[in-house]
Parts: sequence; C-alpha cells; structure tokens
Amino acid sequence: MSTANKRKSGESSTHQKYHSGLARHLFANRARAFFAYLILLFFVVFAVGPVFYLVSPALRDSVSLFEYPPQWIPDEPTLDNFRFLFNKTRYLSWAFNTVIFAAGTTIISLFTNVLAGYAFARLQFPGRNILFFVVLATLMVPVAAVLAPTYLLVRELGEIPIIGRPFFGLDTYLGLILPCTVSPLGVFMMRQFISTLPVGLYEAARLDGASEWRILFKIVLPLIKPALVVLGIFVFMITWANFLWPLVAASGDDYRVLTVGIASLKGQFVTHWGVLAAASLMTLIPVTIVFLFFQKWFVQASMAGALKQ
Amino acid sequence: MAEVILRRLVKNFDVVPAVDEVSLQIPDGEFLVLLGPSGCGKSTILRLIAGLEDVTSGEILIDGNLINFVDPTRRNLAMVFQNYALYPHMTVYKNVAFPLETAKMSRNEIKNAVNRAAEMLEITDFLERLPEQLSGGQRQRVALARAIVRQPKVFLMDEPLSNLDAKLRLQTRIELMSLHERLGITTIYVTHDQVEAMTMGNRIAVLHDGRLQQVGTPTEVYDSPANKFVATFMGAPPMNLIDGTLEQSELDWVFSREGYRLIVDCKKMSIREDVLAFSKGPVSLGVRPEDMRLVSTKSGGLPGIVRFLEPIGSDLFVTVDVGTHSLQVRLPPKTPVSMGEHIRMEFDLSKTHIFNRSEENLQVIRSGAE
Repeated sequence: MSTANKRKSGESSTHQKYHSGLARHLFANRARAFFAYLILLFFVVFAVGPVFYLVSPALRDSVSLFEYPPQWIPDEPTLDNFRFLFNKTRYLSWAFNTVIFAAGTTIISLFTNVLAGYAFARLQFPGRNILFFVVLATLMVPVAAVLAPTYLLVRELGEIPIIGRPFFGLDTYLGLILPCTVSPLGVFMMRQFISTLPVGLYEAARLDGASEWRILFKIVLPLIKPALVVLGIFVFMITWANFLWPLVAASGDDYRVLTVGIASLKGQFVTHWGVLAAASLMTLIPVTIVFLFFQKWFVQASMAGALKQ
Repeated sequence: MAEVILRRLVKNFDVVPAVDEVSLQIPDGEFLVLLGPSGCGKSTILRLIAGLEDVTSGEILIDGNLINFVDPTRRNLAMVFQNYALYPHMTVYKNVAFPLETAKMSRNEIKNAVNRAAEMLEITDFLERLPEQLSGGQRQRVALARAIVRQPKVFLMDEPLSNLDAKLRLQTRIELMSLHERLGITTIYVTHDQVEAMTMGNRIAVLHDGRLQQVGTPTEVYDSPANKFVATFMGAPPMNLIDGTLEQSELDWVFSREGYRLIVDCKKMSIREDVLAFSKGPVSLGVRPEDMRLVSTKSGGLPGIVRFLEPIGSDLFVTVDVGTHSLQVRLPPKTPVSMGEHIRMEFDLSKTHIFNRSEENLQVIRSGAE
C-alpha cells in the first residue's frame, strides 16, 4: 500500500471512530435526559395530580361523585357547582376581600421589609446585630403561638376611638392586613440582597450628596428589583392561601376571605364536595396566573443571587 | 478649592491603629499623593476626609472649618473610587447628572454642566450607554466626570488607575495631571505605585503602618529619604543598604565592614558632625543603584561578586553579592562585566546616606540630640 493510501485509510478510520464516538455520546446524552425526565415526571404527578383531581369533581354533581368504580372523566359534565357558588354563596365578595388582603399585604410588606432590610444591611446603629438576631429568632416561633396574642392586640386596638373601628380592629381590612405585613423571612431576604450590592455604590451616592431615602429609592431599589418581585410573589401567594389568621380576625361575613369562605361550605352534616372542588379550583387560578406572569423574574433573581456570591 | 489640614489624626479599628497621629497641611490647589504599601492607612485617611469613616481622635479642617462631624453628604468633596462605583442601572448621562440632581439644580443647568464635563473628558459619544457597555478606561473617565461635574472643594482619588492596563494608565495619568492643572482643585491622591506618586504629585506623603514617614516634593523624598523605609520604598529597584559600623579613627569618621572602609565626608554627605557622634555603632549605608559605579583598581571600593546580569536595553542591572547582602547596581548598557566576576564599586558620596540604629537618615536629622 502506498503511503498516500495508507494515510487515506488512516483518515477514514479516524473518521469512523469520530462518528461512532459521536453517536455513542449522543445516545448517552439521550439516555441521561430520558432518566432525568422520568424522575421529573414522577414529581410532576405528585404535584399536579391533586389539582387535576379537583377538576373532575368540580364538573360533576355530588351524587355521581360517589359512584363505584370512580370516574375520572364525567359522563355528563355540568357547571351546576359553579352556578351554585356564584348564586347561592358570597364567593365574589370573598374573592374581592382576598384580593384586597393579598395585594394590601404584599404592597405594605414590601415597603416594611425593604426598610428593615436596608437598615440592617447598611445603617450603623448600636445593637444592630442583636436586633437582627432577634428578628431572625422570631422565625422559630410557630404562627399558632402568636395567634391568640395578635388576636387580642387587634381586638383591643380596635376598641380605641379614632384609630380603632371602623379603620382598625377585628373585621376590618387593616386589622386583617397589618399583622401580616412584617415577616422575618422578608427582612432577612431584603437584607441579604441589599448587602450583596457593592458598598462603593452606597458610599459614592453619599458623597454625591444623596440622603438615605434618595439612595434607597434611586440606587438600591432599582438594583434589587428582581428580589422585590420574588418577595412580592411569595408574600402574595402565602397571603392568598392564608387560612388561620383570617379565620380568627375576620369571622364576620363581610370580610371573609376565600380560604375561610370555602371552608365554611363544609356543612356539619352534608358537604357539597363538587361545590368545594369548584371553589378551590377557581381560587387557584389567580395565584397561578401571577406566578406564571412573573416566573422569569423568579429565575433571574435566583441567578443574580448566585452570581453575586 | 480649599485648604485641607489634618491634625494628629487617629483612626483605630477595634484597638489596632490604622492611622496614627497623622498631621498634614495641604494648601489650596495642591496635588498631594498619599503613598505607601497596602495596609499602611492611606485609603483610611482618604475615607476619614470623605467622612465614610469616623475619626477616633484628631481634627480635619477644610478651609479652616472643622468637619469631623459634618455628614459626608454635606462636605462637598468628590471621590473617585478604585472600582469606579458607577451606578450600573443608570446611563452615563444619569451617572454624571446624579450629584447635580441631588443638589436640586434645574434641568437646564444640569444638562449644561454634564455636557461640559463630558466634553472635558471626551465621553460625549457614549452619554446614553450603560456602564457595563464601556471599557475600563471609559468607565474611569465617567467616574472622573461625575467627580468634577459639581466643582467640589476637594478631589479624593483612591487608586483610580489601578484597574487599568499599563498603556491606558500612562495615558490617564497625563489626563489627570492636565485636568488638575486646568481646574486647580485641591487633590488628594492615594496610590501604592511610586512611579505615579513621583510623576503626579506636587508633594508626596509617605505612610507606613499608619504613620507618616515623610512629606516632601518627589525629588526631596527620593533624594533625601527620611528613613530606611522611605529609602527602600521609593525607587525601582530600591536603594541598596549595606550594614556596617560607624566609628571614629583618629580625626575621621569611618564606615567600615569586612574588607571595606569608607571615610565619611560630612560636608559632601551634608551630615552634621554632632549627629555623627550620636550615631556611633551599627549603621547602614544607603546608595541608589544609579549612584554606584565600577572601579578597576585592585584595592579600595566595596568588593563584591556579580551574581546576575539583567540587560533591559537602556540600562544594565547587575546583582552583586556583598557578604550576605545582595545589591542592585545600574550601569550603562554595554559595561563589560560577566557573571561570577569579582568587582569593586564606588559611590557618589553626595548621594550616599547613612541610617542610624533607629533607621533614620542622618542627613535629615538636624540636631544631635534627636
């Protein structure tokens, strides 16, 4: 064989090797992806299963619910449950209250958490670290433990003229919202985000003559926007699903929120499971939309945090 | 435009003094360089003047007014940070306009001032860009523009060139100097780079371990260093130090070490005789590499062995072993020396220094009692 031929065959064999290597590589990738998706699927079933399980009963009448064997897809889908909700209960009023409760809590708590976080991250004052530790320590106090004291506090404050009813107290919007507006987790999160901003920016702004408020609004807030969105979504979703506090703070019908309202549909002797499912389903929709809308901010914020470490 | 005075300035971090009794007077319009190795307290002094750190004790006066307790927002000083500290979410225009907006100037005034500063620093073309879209040099100029735009009383610069590459550093250095010439604003410039200090400063203040070592014009500091630290910190390669003993023999004062004797000529070395008398005993002789020359005699001169040769084109740097010391000698480029050769060196006496046991330069000490 001439040297030219040898070289040629050598080339083609490397070529083959390359291709078979590539094929193996691609196959390995696909196999890995397959298993990854299999595992993901498993968790998706767990997470989404109950939600889907709401859809079926929501579209059936209560009698057909208890048929055996159970049906996943109803033979005769009906909207009776939804009609019942809108006509026979105060669902819309509960929804309105919930929007006020969740939105109000979100807006006010963003404000308070940012202020506290900024102070803990940037201002120098005696006892700063101890105070921050105390704030964090309150994370360890279960909600149920402070429920009664908070209830009493709100009730008593509500009895004080001028600042009390109709502005504040049990069965008022402010009475419902204010106790939920400061969360140690929110303060912690804001503090962490603000501390990741370079100190130089803050010092430069000080030398440029900016007051603390101006630094907060012009420099800090624009730079932690992703964190604000994340915190906002968290607070919104948690408040939306909050049951315990609204249950005690707004027991009257006028200020009842969705979670409490839906729970009240469970009668002592008869429970309309179909109606309950329909109500739960509708309640899920707004939070889901909020989350989907801001989802990309969620990813960005977690990335930004990771890169700044 | 202002005079800055520091009086016995002290700053302790916990109990460790970062700045230790530093007193300085910086006249209106001066370009003063604070020079020292990292951790010497130079940046801390700048931050104390800016108000970013609280003074432990001592006074800072600007134009005769005590400003120790004045909030940094009201000191009317501008600072250029090492990492520029540009606001990343604002355009260049917004960045430069920020201090003016804070001062509540009218939109038109702001526009004019920003444009003027932008022209001066040649950043007009990218006023609408974000900092992340700029190169290091451009960012540096934006930071400078933001500093000059509101005509502060004093400029504080914290190693502003250290993030630039060598070529850009040289260029920006020249720009900074011409900017200072044009504006005439008192400038305090912190650096650890002695070339920057030598070329830019009207005066240099050398710091070490929080203490002020020497203040003077670049030539003064280079030619008559106050102590061993300044002598070895200034100059690249640094001043050579040779240990020996100072003693009186008959009428002359003599510096001697193994195989070497040097008669100390007080006049030539501008040292007072009474100072010499007080410094009897172990001393160090200090000579800059460029003030040494080779002699061809078989006796006399400081003997040594050539260890390395480093021709850099314009000069020939030779490392010479003298006992346990390793000296650097700067020679004309084509001097015929070879590695391992035994040589003898002589010094220019008028440029030779003697440092006493407490490391002070005898030349600088003015009375024997010190």
